[in-house]
Amino acid sequence: MAEPKTKYDRQLRIWGEQGQAALEKASVCLLNCGPTGSETLKNLVLGGIGSITVIDGSKVEVGDLGNNFMLDESCVGESKAKSVCAFLQELNDAVKAKFIEEYPEALIEMNPPFFSQFTLVVATQLGEEKMIKLDRICREANVMLIFARSYGLTGFVRISVKEHTVVESKPDHFLDDLRLNNPWPELRKFAETFDLNVPDPVAHKHTPYVVILIKMSEEWTNSHGGSLPSTREEKREFKELLKSKMVAIDEDNYKEAIEASFKVFAPPGIKLALSKVLQSADSSFFPFSIAIGRPWIF
Amino acid sequence: MVSERQLEAIKGAKVLMVGAGGIGCELLKTLALSGFQDIHIIDMDTIEVSNLNRQFLFRQSHVGQSKAKVARDAVLKFRPQMSITAHHANVKDPKFNVEFFKQFNVVLNGLDNLDARRHVNRLCLAADVPLVESGTTGFLGQVTVHVKGKTECYECQPKPAPKTYPVCTITSTPSKFVHCIVWAKDLLFAKLFGDRNQENDLNVRSSDAASSSDHAEDVFVRRKDEDIDPYGRRIYDHVFGYNIEVASSNEETWKNRNRPKPIYSADVMPENLTEQNGNVAKNCVVDTSSVSAMASLGLKNPQDTWTLLESSRIFLEALKLFFAKREKEIGNLSFDKDDQLAVEFVTAAANIRAASFGISLHSLFEAKGIAGNIVHAVATTNAIIAGLIVIEAIKVLLKDTDKYRMTYCLEHITKKMLLMPVEPYEPNKSCYVCSETPLSLEINTSRSKLRDFVEKIVKAKLGINFPLIMHGSNLLYEVGDDLDEVEVANYAANLEKVLSQLPSPVTNGTMLTVEDLQQELTCNINIKHREEFDEEKEPDGMLLSGWTQAPPAKDDKQSMNDKQSIGNGGDSSNALQTEPADAVKDGEMEEISEPSGKKRKLSEGSKASILDATDGTRNHKEVEKLDDDDDDDVVMFDDLDSMTNKKKRLQ
Repeated sequence: MAEPKTKYDRQLRIWGEQGQAALEKASVCLLNCGPTGSETLKNLVLGGIGSITVIDGSKVEVGDLGNNFMLDESCVGESKAKSVCAFLQELNDAVKAKFIEEYPEALIEMNPPFFSQFTLVVATQLGEEKMIKLDRICREANVMLIFARSYGLTGFVRISVKEHTVVESKPDHFLDDLRLNNPWPELRKFAETFDLNVPDPVAHKHTPYVVILIKMSEEWTNSHGGSLPSTREEKREFKELLKSKMVAIDEDNYKEAIEASFKVFAPPGIKLALSKVLQSADSSFFPFSIAIGRPWIF
Repeated sequence: MVSERQLEAIKGAKVLMVGAGGIGCELLKTLALSGFQDIHIIDMDTIEVSNLNRQFLFRQSHVGQSKAKVARDAVLKFRPQMSITAHHANVKDPKFNVEFFKQFNVVLNGLDNLDARRHVNRLCLAADVPLVESGTTGFLGQVTVHVKGKTECYECQPKPAPKTYPVCTITSTPSKFVHCIVWAKDLLFAKLFGDRNQENDLNVRSSDAASSSDHAEDVFVRRKDEDIDPYGRRIYDHVFGYNIEVASSNEETWKNRNRPKPIYSADVMPENLTEQNGNVAKNCVVDTSSVSAMASLGLKNPQDTWTLLESSRIFLEALKLFFAKREKEIGNLSFDKDDQLAVEFVTAAANIRAASFGISLHSLFEAKGIAGNIVHAVATTNAIIAGLIVIEAIKVLLKDTDKYRMTYCLEHITKKMLLMPVEPYEPNKSCYVCSETPLSLEINTSRSKLRDFVEKIVKAKLGINFPLIMHGSNLLYEVGDDLDEVEVANYAANLEKVLSQLPSPVTNGTMLTVEDLQQELTCNINIKHREEFDEEKEPDGMLLSGWTQAPPAKDDKQSMNDKQSIGNGGDSSNALQTEPADAVKDGEMEEISEPSGKKRKLSEGSKASILDATDGTRNHKEVEKLDDDDDDDVVMFDDLDSMTNKKKRLQ
């Protein structure tokens, strides 16, 4: 098993086996194999894409030799799609490479169902009218679409996809939820073992900040009709309250509590945007949201 | 698209490409398509299978051939009129001297290691030829321009030092998997299969010397009539059992750490090995390169993480296979990441050690990446970078100084850009390479020897590999092919002398001149005598200043504090190696804070400095230094914030 994968070793270290599998399952259709399209496909083929279908109706001309390194003199007069396809096949024989000598515009007009067989269509150097038509075709067929055009040193790439799910597995900002506004039984019991007003100064400054926050937020809710600080004024008051409990200036635990007080303010429950996603019928999260009773994970 | 002026400059240009790998292939193609006519390529590597996912000028059938040559042939196919000269050689070879470099209008680097980059930088400065540098790692990449007198040279800004680990962390108190890998590779593997005469810290313990007896040396050598199975178990028990027990007994070490657990083979594996360990006897594989313990034991997937039992089995099986199939190589072997059996052995050994110390085990795939300092790479980033290189090269040929840009290819869009262009800085006045500023060295001249100075300062820090050291007009040391016996003996003797005892005594206030003839680099060092050095902070017993070193990585404060360090990799310099795979895997990148004496001003998000209004090209940052012996391309890392600062405009 080590052998077949050696070729992909360096990229496996980027996207792992799952990513590689996704690549190898995909079938890509390229419309127009000028330099832009050819370069694009080169990178996909090198990476081990499942299959490619090159669509181009033109023949190789001398002028093409100047900007497409996949073509050499012997290709002049041949179908460009055929020549480019042959070169690409050489790059990676694990890829299934096909070509169709046909103008993409004609296909878009005459044969929309043609595109349904692909995972992704890469459409290069198309005019706007055709791009719009193709976009509709692909949306309906749930085929991913990427447009690309280049002119000299400028160009654009545009992705057109109905929905793409991304899971941030290594988020930059990890917001930990200490459940301070609703401590579970063991945490509550633990907090109860502490007396915030303990006379011994050493014990006082060693009370964990989490306990301080739990107790103080409880005190607050009791005097504020059961709700937590929500307005800016209230949040400031809460912090002042914490400060007033300090008996010495070097009490780091209280300083920590003040700094972390925002963890008490955060409203419990799911964020609105997330709720929308969970409720959206199309979303692949749908079965998941049924499965979880209380969305306490979020 | 290209102006007349540009076209003329391109057609008449003579270009040197250093490196024909990931960046090199894309670069050569782009240069050819852009109309360049005369290119020289230097690359000492041969093509490997793992190159084929991005070095597209190569095919499976080319594996083993010279990259430079195959690249040339591939491009000549679609540009038969071009002149491409391929040099299958090391760019550090003396034949690539200043004269050689002078013939080019621009030098384009596509290298994968810091050492070679510094070397080329110095030659370009000496020859006064502009250099366009570049590097990539995964989705990150950057292109930088270096023109003598106009911009910073490649070494004006400190590059991160390769990561090293304190000896005791490796031998006694590992806490990360990489420590176990380094132990398995540089200590155990080296001891068992490498040069026996090589000094090895394998039995070094933090406990007193009394417990280490002479017979310890014999432990690793297989006795004459010893069967392979008992030998294997004996080694296993010694390093994973006995050594751990001894280390465990030292109270001081484990006061604040979890004690390791000794592991004995009998506990993990029942005695009867011959049934368990597959059909070595029946295995009639003649080709040594395909000998594999995994295959022998039926463990197919390199991405699986083995259990302690599986690791132990692999350990013994690999050991067995080395002796059964590759006996001739034993005593001469050095770890090679492409040596399947070696990788299996090191993974297994590292895993068992990890199990002992409560560190999580890793798959062969992961271990190989760490042990081999493998850099992840993909075709697209290289293609982008190559394009940017050519754009800068054209500017350089036209001497459009105002338009030079350092461009950083980011992984995620930042401030709405994926490519971040930045104007180059002026040369750093305290750069000892391009500004010839003298350095200062604090050292105990009555205790430190010339050898220490040469190894730890000249070679390790200054990157001068073939030095010439003078005190005034007195030659204290030099390296060269044309030395006679007397001179060689003289210099050898000098190395062992203490500085103040040299024929031309080096004491407080002395100025030493260190030169490298090939790099045409001269460096003056003022010597200051100092009696005491902090063992923790200055383990080398020397302090070099005026040379800015990048600060150590965040979690690695210890690594600077030890007398010796063990690196992870087998490249040139002493014990200095890097640890790229680990850093990248954890999603951490080393951050380099601003070196002292910079003229940058902090103005965050200064749009003016980011947008390139002049030539309409789209340019875009960040790089991490990864030293590796792979032929992949490497990226340099700079402080992200500084990219948004106001830059000094070039004249």
